[in-house]
Amino acid sequence: MVKCGLKLLFVLILMFWIVNGSLCVFAVDESEANARTAIADAEVVVSDCYGAVLDAEKAGANVTELLSVLNEAGMLLSSANLAYETGDFNSTVYFATQSILMLHGFVAEAGISRETAIQQRYWDFMINVVASIVGTLVVICGGFGVWFFLKKKYERAGSVV
Amino acid sequence: MDLGEHRVLFVAVTGILALLVASPVLSRLLVLPRTEFFTELWILGPNHTTEDYPFNISSNHDYSVFLGIGNHLGHCAYYVVEVKFRNQTQSAPNSFNRTPSSLPALYNITAFVADEGVWEMPLTFSLDYEYNETLLQYEFHSLTVNDVELNMKNYTVALDGNNNGFFGNLFFELWVYSETVGNFQYHERFLNLLLNMIH
Repeated sequence: MVKCGLKLLFVLILMFWIVNGSLCVFAVDESEANARTAIADAEVVVSDCYGAVLDAEKAGANVTELLSVLNEAGMLLSSANLAYETGDFNSTVYFATQSILMLHGFVAEAGISRETAIQQRYWDFMINVVASIVGTLVVICGGFGVWFFLKKKYERAGSVV
Repeated sequence: MDLGEHRVLFVAVTGILALLVASPVLSRLLVLPRTEFFTELWILGPNHTTEDYPFNISSNHDYSVFLGIGNHLGHCAYYVVEVKFRNQTQSAPNSFNRTPSSLPALYNITAFVADEGVWEMPLTFSLDYEYNETLLQYEFHSLTVNDVELNMKNYTVALDGNNNGFFGNLFFELWVYSETVGNFQYHERFLNLLLNMIH
């Protein structure tokens, strides 16, 4: 009877150990998986934001402020990667999330900068290129016009005298 | 008054006026196109000059350098500087084959730099190591860069009999993000600090 009880106790302890151990393993795996997902998400967000900055820059926007925000987010992403390497998955998720939060609305902001730059570029083109070419033609044609006008006037005045 | 006498003056005034009005267009047309696209990578010593670079290193002492990047790629760039450490037998980046070291990075520094812009960062580092008298080598515990402690277990530096020192290289590889590939590519630039470990 005592032997049977000991066996039962042993089996119960063994079962508890197995279940408890496997739960711990799952918990660690899940935490690591979360950390990895957080880093991957942050990397995608940073890359997307960088793409948006490139587009804004191509349109002629001043991207200095956008880049300083990206630099801060990039440092947070570096910290997340470092925390992941050291096995600190809570900090990994924290830094990666902070990086994502910092870039919230960033693509829209870069889009606005891009649109503004496109409009400025249009007016810059109209004023500095179109108006300049038209103005040059007007000056040259006007010069010829004034010359011929003065010449005619001078000839008329000469014939009267 | 003879109008012919003033002809040259009239043409000159009209020409100057036309050039003034055309100057915004001319300023765009007369600019030489950029033909060289590259990135500068530099390390300066603690006095922000190319002198007094750390060489003889003691354990747990702080050393300072400045790491800088100059972007001339024609667009803003997304860089990563990989900080690595090697002894003289380990893989080094190769300038001729244009390949990076196969060693893992201890630390990654991210930098976004505007076109024609400059990025610079002060780096304070220290190495924690001890001498193994049995194996006659220094064994590292950690590298601390700007208060961030990095694990350096399994890193060792043995005696270089030819040069009579325990030499290790702290080096910085430059990687750049490629929009077309969607990943970082080695940018074929690296900098190397030769360090001699002393007691």
